[in-house]
Amino acid sequence: AVPCVSGGLPKPTNITFLSINMKNVLHWNPPEGLRGVEVTYTVQYFIYGQKQWLGASECRSISRTYCDLSAETSDYEHQYYAKVKAIWETKCSEWAETRRFYPFLETQVGPPKVALTAGEKSISIVLTAPKKWQRHPNDDTVSMQQIYSSLKYNVFLYNTKSRRMWSQCIANSTLELSWLEPNTLYCVHVESFVPGPPRLTLPSQKQCISTLEDQMSALKV
Amino acid sequence: LTGGVAVLPAPQNLTVLSINMKHLLMWNPVAQPREPVLYSVEYQGEYESLYMSHIWIPSSRCSPTNSLECDVTDDITATVPYNFRVRALLGSQTSAWSTLERPFNRNSTVLMAPRMEVTEHGLHLVVKLEDPGPQFEFLVVYWRREPGATEHVKVVKSRDTPVHIETMEPGAMYCVKAQAWVKAIGRHSTFSQTQCVEMQGEPL
Amino acid sequence: LRRCLISVDRSLIEKSIPEVKRVLQTKDTFRNVTILSTLENLKSIKPVDVCCVTSHLLTFYRDRVFKDHQETSLEVMRQISSIANSFLYMQKTLEQCQVHNQCQCSQEATNATRTILDNYDQLEASSAALKSLGELDIFLTWIDENHQETSTA
Repeated sequence: AVPCVSGGLPKPTNITFLSINMKNVLHWNPPEGLRGVEVTYTVQYFIYGQKQWLGASECRSISRTYCDLSAETSDYEHQYYAKVKAIWETKCSEWAETRRFYPFLETQVGPPKVALTAGEKSISIVLTAPKKWQRHPNDDTVSMQQIYSSLKYNVFLYNTKSRRMWSQCIANSTLELSWLEPNTLYCVHVESFVPGPPRLTLPSQKQCISTLEDQMSALKV
Repeated sequence: LTGGVAVLPAPQNLTVLSINMKHLLMWNPVAQPREPVLYSVEYQGEYESLYMSHIWIPSSRCSPTNSLECDVTDDITATVPYNFRVRALLGSQTSAWSTLERPFNRNSTVLMAPRMEVTEHGLHLVVKLEDPGPQFEFLVVYWRREPGATEHVKVVKSRDTPVHIETMEPGAMYCVKAQAWVKAIGRHSTFSQTQCVEMQGEPL
Repeated sequence: LRRCLISVDRSLIEKSIPEVKRVLQTKDTFRNVTILSTLENLKSIKPVDVCCVTSHLLTFYRDRVFKDHQETSLEVMRQISSIANSFLYMQKTLEQCQVHNQCQCSQEATNATRTILDNYDQLEASSAALKSLGELDIFLTWIDENHQETSTA
C-alpha cells in the first residue's frame, strides 16, 4: 500500500464491536467533515497478551464502515482490541481504537427459535437454542447452550382474551402449557438469559396461536 | 470553647437502621441557632480497616448533606463489617469525627415477609411479587388444600410480569405462601400471609 | 470429599467489575502482557485445585494488587473497595473449607499461582496492579465457571 501522511485526516469515530451469538462485527462512523469524499478504511486487530497488531485481510482499503472480525476473534475466551484508520489519496488518519473486547462476557445471546403447537386446551412450546456464529455453513453447529451452561429462557405468555400475561423461567427447551382456555388466541415471546454481567437481551418475535375449539361444545352445536 | 474559640460539637448517637437490604445511617443533630449545619459521612469496609486503616471513603450520597440521615446502601456492598463516621460542617468550622459504636454488617438486616398477590389464570397459579431489589429471590411454597397435602417449593425472581407457578386441577383449592431469600447474606425472611385461590371448572 | 464452592456477589459482577474494567483497561497500555495469562494458565486448573488457586489469587489481590494501586477517581475507589471487601468475604468462606481439609494445594496449583506472581513482578508495581484490576473480569469469570456444582472444568 502507498504510504500516507498520518494525521492528515480526522479519525473515524464511535468504533465499537457489535456482537451477537459470537458474530463479532466492528462498526465505526466516518470521520467528521469529510462528506462526499471517497474515504477508504483499513482495519487491524490485537489479541490481548500477544505480541503485535494483525491485519484484517478482508478489511484493507474498504469503503464500507463495518468489518466482520468473527473469524479473527473466534476464540471467545480471549480478549481483543481493534483499530481502524481512514485513508484518502495520500492522507490518512491516526488509528481509532476500541476498548478491550471480551466476547465471552459481551456477546449478546440471541433469542431461541420458538415452535408452537396448539391443542384443544394446550400449547406446546419447543425452543431451539441460538447458534454460535459459524465460519462456514457446513461447519459443525455449536449451540450457545454449549458455551453458556447456565443459559435459561424467560417465556412470556399473553392471553389476548383476558389480556393477562405471565412469565416463566425455564432451563430446558420444551414447555407444555396445559389447561388453557379453548378457542383462545395466545401470544408468546421468549428471551435468552445468561446470569452474570449485564447483557442486552434480544427478545424473539412475538408469535400467536389459537387453542382449538372445545370438542364438547363443538358436538353440542 | 477551646482557647476562646467556639468548637463545633460532633454529631452523636450514630445508628444504622437496615430493612430489606436498605441501610440508613442516622445521627442526632448538632444544635446551632443561627446557621444550617451540614454533615459529611465516610465509611471503611473491613478490608480498609484491616489493611489500609488510614483510608476512609466519602459516602456516595452524603458528602455533604444537610439531612440527619444517609442512605448508605450503595456503600455497603459486601457481607463484612463496615465502620461509619460523621462530622458536622458549619461555614469554615468542622467538628471532630463521630464513629459508629460497633461496625455494621448487612447480614443483620431485617428481612420482611414479601408482599404477594396470588391469582388464578384459569387453571394456572400465578403470583406477582414485590421487588425489594436485585439481591432478592423468593421461595414460593404451594399446596392443595386437603388433609395431608404435600408442600411444593419453587424459587423465583421478582419480575415486572406475574410469574407462573404451576398448572392445577380444576375445581380444587390451592394455597400459597412465600418468603424472601437473600443469597449474599445467606438468610431468608419469615413467610408471607397464606393466600388461597380456587381453580375454575368442575373437580375431576 | 465435597467440593468447596463459593459464590460471587451479583453486584460485583453486574456493577463493580464492569465499572472498574471500563475505566482501568483504557489506562493499561501494555497490551502484549497479561498477569493472569488469560486461559492457558487458569484453564488448565483441575477441579481439585480450584479451591487452592482461588484462595491464592484472592490473597494475591488482597496483599499486592489493592495495595499497589493508587486511585484518584472517587467512584473507582468505591468500586475497588467493594471488590476488596467482597474478596474478604469470599476468603472467609474458603477458610471454612480449609478447616475441613477441602482446599488442598497440589504442585500444579502452586505453579499456576507462581506464574501469575512472576508475571506481576515483571512489571512496575503500579502498572502491574492496574493491569490486574483490568483483568478482574477474567478472574471472576473463572471463579463463576469453576465454582458451580456441575462444573467439571
